[in-house]
Amino acid sequence: MGGTLRDAAAVAGVGYTPFSKDSGVSTTTLACEAILAALDDAGLGPEDVDGIATHRVGDSSPPWAVAPALGIEDQGWYLDQFGGGSVSHAVLGQAAMAVAAGVAETVVCYRAINARSEFRMGGQGRPPAGAFDLQYQAPYGLIAPVQHYALLARAHMLAYGTSHEHLGAVAVGQREKAAGNPRALKRDPITMRDYLASRWIAEPFRLLDCCLETDGACALVLTSAERARDLRRPPVNITAAAWGGGHSSYSGAGPGGIGADPTTSAAARLAPRLYAMAGLGPADVDVAELYDCFTWTVLVQLEDYGFCAKGEGGPYAASGALRIGGELPVNTHGGFLSEGYVHGINHVAEAVQQLRGEAGGRQVPGAEVALSTAQPGYVLAGTSALLLTAPR
Amino acid sequence: MTEPAPLRPGTDRDSAAWWELVRRHRLAVQRCTGCALLRFPAREYCPACRSRSWEWRDCAGTGRVAGWTVTHRAFHPAFADQVPYTVLCVALDDGPGLRCWGRLVGAGPDALAADLPVEAVFTDAEPGLTLVDWRPAAPPH
Repeated sequence: MGGTLRDAAAVAGVGYTPFSKDSGVSTTTLACEAILAALDDAGLGPEDVDGIATHRVGDSSPPWAVAPALGIEDQGWYLDQFGGGSVSHAVLGQAAMAVAAGVAETVVCYRAINARSEFRMGGQGRPPAGAFDLQYQAPYGLIAPVQHYALLARAHMLAYGTSHEHLGAVAVGQREKAAGNPRALKRDPITMRDYLASRWIAEPFRLLDCCLETDGACALVLTSAERARDLRRPPVNITAAAWGGGHSSYSGAGPGGIGADPTTSAAARLAPRLYAMAGLGPADVDVAELYDCFTWTVLVQLEDYGFCAKGEGGPYAASGALRIGGELPVNTHGGFLSEGYVHGINHVAEAVQQLRGEAGGRQVPGAEVALSTAQPGYVLAGTSALLLTAPR
Repeated sequence: MTEPAPLRPGTDRDSAAWWELVRRHRLAVQRCTGCALLRFPAREYCPACRSRSWEWRDCAGTGRVAGWTVTHRAFHPAFADQVPYTVLCVALDDGPGLRCWGRLVGAGPDALAADLPVEAVFTDAEPGLTLVDWRPAAPPH
């Protein structure tokens, strides 16, 4: 599996806009700003672009608006994928495929949202397009992703004894890591006491269990691994990408059949494919940026990406293993809980900075292999992930 | 300003008949006549054997609590006066892997535990709209 994709493409540029609660500008503008920053980082310009990719859920500017806004006459290869966090890494894998197939040489991948000031991720009281099974839940007031994930977390607590303090360990630990991240929106440290005192949103989730809603954009420039070696920054290879189906929070249908146990995420089926393409395993991962829409999501991925046994995500997170100096540094930027939430791409951007050795005070020394994951297959039932490596 | 959510069920072409049964206070799931698999929500094809031949199978109306969440925020104005409210995920007794959602009625969330037996309560919410809520089952005689 994987054919010609492994190590064919590399990230040559990373760009961000500032993160805020109100950008004051359009998503087209955010996209332009992030893309120009990423191209500049790569030592390239809009004239070099021959591919453009994004994902959105009716909340952002499409490639056919962003490209002309940047004066790109012919965007070449394009991908405008409907989807949220679950496809965040799928899009990058597909851009890597375009590079590997030789149909594009310089692909800009972006996600640009005003998710705090305009289309709030936390729910607008409106089902996302295509979520027709929400009809069985919305009449009862089950509408927003935080509630769907709360049901999952509760099931995991019932099955494995995962505790509130286990969730809190993720929140507290990631805020600690955000202190070393100048970009992070939330940098003030929190204690377990602060966590336990924060108000309920949908039990078992408190405010501090929930990722931020953010205005901002992030963009990456992908090119061939060979060409990336000649550009400004240390290249970071996309060594493996994987795509998979998930467990719909609306219909209850999941991998393994209808009503399959939701306390095991789609990542459990995806991870072997991902590691196999790379010829690596969990023990090889130096740093992991795990999709953290909620604290619990980190716990289930620790299990399902093979870092600890099923049901042990909570104790593992509480053990200190996830610290920068720990056995498995996780969400070194503070994650979506503390840095900001650009729906997935900012995890990849952080992984790239780690592998370039540019992460400053939050650098994992000698990091060579990074795992970065998309939403692990709940809600709209798909998932994706990447393994990135620093070529030597 | 975003539009309010369509809280009235979508009654798409797959689900319309199911909601009609609920309006008549029948809780039913589809049974594949090819392989006997029970499925919910309603679909034309059986996911196991891909047969399009099916029939309605009335449910016992009982299940076990598989999860719950107490919601403390109104994610839609229609629920503002219900906050805090508890939504359950119920594993129906009728067959493996059948999941259904509804509000907890007749008890507070402190009564909930994993696998607690619950029974369906048909709630005529408004003309043309009946919902299926759940209450802790009476202990067997």
